Amino acid sequence: MQLLLVDDEKEFVATLAERLSLRGIEADWVTSAKDAEKIIKTKHYDLVLLDVKMPQVGGRELKKIIEKKLPGIKTIYLTGHGSEEDYQAGSAEAEYYLMKPINITDLIEKINDALKK
Amino acid sequence: MSNKIDPLGEAGLQFYSKVSASISHEIKNSLAVLNESAGYLEDVTLMAKKGMDVNMERLESLAVTMLKQVQRTNGIVKNMNRLAHSLDDPASQIDLNPLLELMISLSERTTVTRGFKVSAVFSDAAITITTHPFFLENLIWLILDFAMTVTGDAKTIAMIPAKTESGAEINFTGLEKLTGKSFNDFQTERVRLMLAALNCKLQPNENKGILTIHLPKNINQPEK
Repeated sequence: MQLLLVDDEKEFVATLAERLSLRGIEADWVTSAKDAEKIIKTKHYDLVLLDVKMPQVGGRELKKIIEKKLPGIKTIYLTGHGSEEDYQAGSAEAEYYLMKPINITDLIEKINDALKK
Repeated sequence: MSNKIDPLGEAGLQFYSKVSASISHEIKNSLAVLNESAGYLEDVTLMAKKGMDVNMERLESLAVTMLKQVQRTNGIVKNMNRLAHSLDDPASQIDLNPLLELMISLSERTTVTRGFKVSAVFSDAAITITTHPFFLENLIWLILDFAMTVTGDAKTIAMIPAKTESGAEINFTGLEKLTGKSFNDFQTERVRLMLAALNCKLQPNENKGILTIHLPKNINQPEK
């Protein structure tokens, strides 16, 4: 399984990747849409974890860009933003829409479920 | 009883709600970092109990991260508290320098998410006026929101406060696409009411891309 984590909170995304690695799940991480666009040109991913609110290009816009390059890729949205409107729209677009802070066991379950969809 | 909503009150609530939403988002981000850091500590503690090596340097950097996040959250909450207390008195004496600093912090998530950089050129000396701080903060918020629609390609806005003979002014620079029409469109009923409540004036300079708020020295003594 190839995972990509995209979140502008570097300390969050780097530590999350480390914790996933301790559980046998290797994930690459980047902190901007620009870097995500670069990395998907060089590597295939099965699932991307996207922060919804990021500077300049947010997760929902980035999802469309990634899907053009990697059709069929699964998406899980992550957000600290609690707007009902965002939740409704995000839930319809992605496999899952998770609110920060996250529970890693729950996240791994969602990753596995999303990949089976 | 009238069903008409007070536009000034509605604007104030909208401003306060937007700032609250932005702040709660920031706090959630900070909590997420702390949550992963604590989770990592739990992970390595379990590993250590099983006799596995622990990377002490990583633990040290994690402690620094956690302290930084506590400071970050403390700063966010302090700013929220300052905003909340700006409603305490109908008029109070304020220094524009810290008020603009507060506005940069409160609007940062919104402006950065939209790809803008907002800064201020602070004065060495205090620029003191007597005004209604909450209305002024609300007006600055609305101007920043408007300014982001009329900036140049650099997407930068600088707020420059200065003392004047009759009080003070705040210049919003970098508004290269400012036009008479866009300025007129900006002056909605709520903006006009806010200007009246603050006894102040807005002056556009389309050629220089500057919008200026002229504030009286004392809110109860309108600028002549």
